[in-house]
Amino acid sequence: MEVKLLSEHYDKKEFRHLEGYQKLGGYSALKKALKMKPEEIVAEVKNSGLRGRGGAGFPTGMKWGFLPQNGEPRFLLCNADEGEPGTFKDRLMMERAPHQLIEGMIIAAFGIKSQKSYIYIRGEYYQPYKIVEKAIEEAYKAGLLGKNILGSGFDHEMDVYRGAGAYIVGEETALISSLEGKKGQPKLKPPFPAVKGYLEKPTIVNNVETLAAVPWIINNGAQGYKKYGTEKSPGTKLFSVSGNVNKPGVYEVPLAYSFKDLLENECGGMKPGFKLKALIPGGSSCPVLNYDEAMKATMDYECMSQMGSMLGSGGVIVIDDKQCMVDLLNVLMHFYHHESCGQCTPCREGTGWMEKLSSSIGAGRAQLSDITLLDKVARQMMGTTICALSDAAALPVISFVSKFRDEFEFHIHEKKCKVKGHCHAQSHH
Amino acid sequence: MSVVKRPSQKSKWYIPGVLTGLGITIRHMFFNLLHRKDIFTIEYPEERYPYSDRFKGNHILTVKKDGSLRCTACMLCATYCPAECISITAAEHDDPNVEKYPISYEIDILRCVFCGLCEEACPVDAIRMGPEHQTAALAGSRFVYDINKLAYRPNLKGGVLSHVDDEERKARGL
Amino acid sequence: MPKVTINGNTIEVPAGTSVIKAAQLLNIPIAHYCWHEGLSVAGACRMCMVEVEKMPKLQVACNTTVTDGMVVFTNTEKVKTAVKWALDFHLINHPLDCPICDQAGECKLQDYYMSYGLYTPEMNQPKVKKEKVVSLGDRVVLDQERCILCSRCVRFTKEVTKTHELGIFNRGDRSQLATFEGRPLNNNYSVNTVDICPVGALTSKDFRFKQRVWFLKEFDSICNGCSTGCNVTISYNQNGVFRVKPRVNHDVNGFWMCDSGRDIYKYTNKEFRLTQVVERSEKLGGDAVRGKPVALALQEIGRQLSQVIKNKGAQSVGLVWSGQYTNEEYSSMGRFFKDLGVSQFYHWKNNEKDFDSFDGILKRGDLNPNTAGLKKELAGLKSWADFEKQVSPLEMIFVMGPENFGAYSDLEENVKVIKKAKEVVWFTACESSLLKEFKWLIPAKSFVEKSGTFVNSKGLAQAFKAGLTIVPDAVSLEEAVKGMQESARMVS
Repeated sequence: MEVKLLSEHYDKKEFRHLEGYQKLGGYSALKKALKMKPEEIVAEVKNSGLRGRGGAGFPTGMKWGFLPQNGEPRFLLCNADEGEPGTFKDRLMMERAPHQLIEGMIIAAFGIKSQKSYIYIRGEYYQPYKIVEKAIEEAYKAGLLGKNILGSGFDHEMDVYRGAGAYIVGEETALISSLEGKKGQPKLKPPFPAVKGYLEKPTIVNNVETLAAVPWIINNGAQGYKKYGTEKSPGTKLFSVSGNVNKPGVYEVPLAYSFKDLLENECGGMKPGFKLKALIPGGSSCPVLNYDEAMKATMDYECMSQMGSMLGSGGVIVIDDKQCMVDLLNVLMHFYHHESCGQCTPCREGTGWMEKLSSSIGAGRAQLSDITLLDKVARQMMGTTICALSDAAALPVISFVSKFRDEFEFHIHEKKCKVKGHCHAQSHH
Repeated sequence: MSVVKRPSQKSKWYIPGVLTGLGITIRHMFFNLLHRKDIFTIEYPEERYPYSDRFKGNHILTVKKDGSLRCTACMLCATYCPAECISITAAEHDDPNVEKYPISYEIDILRCVFCGLCEEACPVDAIRMGPEHQTAALAGSRFVYDINKLAYRPNLKGGVLSHVDDEERKARGL
Repeated sequence: MPKVTINGNTIEVPAGTSVIKAAQLLNIPIAHYCWHEGLSVAGACRMCMVEVEKMPKLQVACNTTVTDGMVVFTNTEKVKTAVKWALDFHLINHPLDCPICDQAGECKLQDYYMSYGLYTPEMNQPKVKKEKVVSLGDRVVLDQERCILCSRCVRFTKEVTKTHELGIFNRGDRSQLATFEGRPLNNNYSVNTVDICPVGALTSKDFRFKQRVWFLKEFDSICNGCSTGCNVTISYNQNGVFRVKPRVNHDVNGFWMCDSGRDIYKYTNKEFRLTQVVERSEKLGGDAVRGKPVALALQEIGRQLSQVIKNKGAQSVGLVWSGQYTNEEYSSMGRFFKDLGVSQFYHWKNNEKDFDSFDGILKRGDLNPNTAGLKKELAGLKSWADFEKQVSPLEMIFVMGPENFGAYSDLEENVKVIKKAKEVVWFTACESSLLKEFKWLIPAKSFVEKSGTFVNSKGLAQAFKAGLTIVPDAVSLEEAVKGMQESARMVS
């Protein structure tokens, strides 16, 4: 069953504007939070067990706790650079409930004592950018942002910044670089952003969904949030389901919800004539699961890591039996090759190499040993770079090749596609 | 100390031996007079012995299809040369894909020991040992061969190609 | 101070030291391209992978700070595989044009391939093509295909010269190094980027294709280009000197040297040098005569000197000193003349106006390596202004002229002043048409041919040794004194 903690009013048009949002209970959490002590807010979020919804799943409260207590100015950045192929939940959240995000950010900023925050929206999201910008304007007018918010004595400024179209900027340190006006490239860690981030000052970077969940947690308490999900994966999560299902879209379900139910109940099953073949559970960077694994999978952090995959950002890509895995890998490899920032050698050279290998396999120009080589290159790229992009490119390769090796071999042996007879991969360069 | 004893008295009977030898010589003389075609010696320089095409004699600098030198002036030949007889001056080429080429390439052929290491060291098949081996000249300076002599001497004979093309090389799997 | 154990060897290092630096102190080699001690950490090449105990993943040694009790391994199988592959990733798109690459022989790709190479290459795909022979500025050429994007040069222009000419553009394996539009790499430190480039991507226009590096020999010396006294390594062979590279000395120049300093070798090569004694006298018809053996020439000069002192007195002899000679030369020549009663010593500076200037990094306006030494060894030097006033009555003057004429912008005017003296003995390393009217020109040794000491502007005395002989007839001032003293004393 869908549990709509955050998305309850997403269908209502008035929810997108301040007036309607307030009418439906909005900004009550902010009023409550401003009466609390900042440390209590951090403690509440910590207790709720809320984990970062951007992909890595790092506990949010713990992240906030890393800030040095030295009175330095600090920044809150909202990571709305939603670039992961297969993920589109943040866009919906910003379009349908911009004030939810803004409220969450003000509370979070109050909790970590930040005076300034930025929402970094990917350049392609023009509509959400317009909506969020307008919502911020409304909030300023209503005294919810600016000096002395709601008479609490807390000052906070908020700005929107548009990205320039790089996937890598979804990585928090690259986002900081981009925001600083530099080339969007990840920075070396340590120092971590919580110690030295934007403009060398302590900085917290959180995903849209993470921040939007904060008002609910403040309103209903950590225990209320923990009622949903499991011990280690509490709460609900928005999944963006794509693929040949009857009702693709964004669904909010409690964590540990089974994929089978998600597919059958919420998404209305596979489209007629299509059968489930595989599943990418959390956006393109996550290892693929085959049919058996997908049927057993529950959508939470533990189960996914047990199965050797990741929950990621919740971009559920449903792959049907009419889809060629070689073609799909080709598309992914092209994407990662295009998006590698080029800073670290293994990723810069490896993504290009893997794309060339996978496209030559697809075109039937390769030898069997090239499949092994592709796997080998991917394994050597794992964990050797500054950020996780090389892992993100390598993981799909390793899982695709190990789980669907027959399709790759067919492309080489027969010079045609096992699934369709002819697919894009054969003509793709 | 060892005392060498002269051969016995028998060696005094040398006359039969001399006559036998003379006999053989005279026999050959008559034989050769009658069978002139089978004579073994040749009358150099009017007559020349055909050497193998693979004889490693004087160097040749190979050229590309357009006639320019293949040599990239990497100086590996000069590095390996045990006689230190190769001297190259490199320069920047106008074409960035060629980048480096020799403006002077000299081999002091009198110092050369014809070991063939230059040919082996060359990464681009730019220098080869040709079949020429008669290198007489009147002045010492004539023995320092420059690019004109090494690459473009007109009467280059024998089975060695001085034109080497990259595509042909590729086709032959080199 | 934290203690770190690397491959079983323990060392105590100051807090904040990186693992790669600690390993360097222990003489444990860790392969690296992007890390350079004089620059910030980039962590991009991923070559310096090490295994740290209690850490699940391999760490880059350049960005891992030593903590107390840290145990590091650089020789485990995991590390070896990682380094091998990191190197292979560098090489898959490398053009492998080593035969025409100037870096061959001192290239880190070649070096590391020998020690860490993956000898069974599996790359069977077409390589990425980029631009070759891109001129970045007056002194540096870039080959984008050879570039491994370690960003050392970019960080150099950002952090050391702060001129920001270079950047890495585009992404992924399409990344390329280039200059920003309208900002060529023309700062006075640009060739340092060639030195720090671990591969053959950046090459020096001056040295390009002149020699293969394995034909060169090296010796350590001190730059004589200015009073900073940068420590340098000089490369030479039987054909002369070919380049000058900085040598690390944290008290003087750190890792760098300026581009003008790199040109100093040119004045030491034969084509610029005075190779023989030049004599001009009435007896010989007033024309310049070359080729007198230097020992005979010095004997004769000694004789003439003693004649002048005998007839006109020691005050009729003057000495003009430039700051381009060693302490040892100053002291022996100075003592020789003081013993003869000569005390008119004048200091010839290169350029009075910007003599005390400093560019903030290394280069100083005082373009003499040993001005401080000259002042120390020869007290009571008179200024050039004094010389201009007192030159006319002088019978005989000895000029310890500059070795590097290029540094003396007012040479022509000053030569005119010196011409006012009757007899001039000029010690010069270089040939110049300006000097053709002087009575004696004695070929002096250049700084690469003599041993001695230079004192830099901070007062640091640095000894250096002779590396090679270029002009066999050239003499140092010490040798000149030896040649003159006998005949000078005989008559007096």
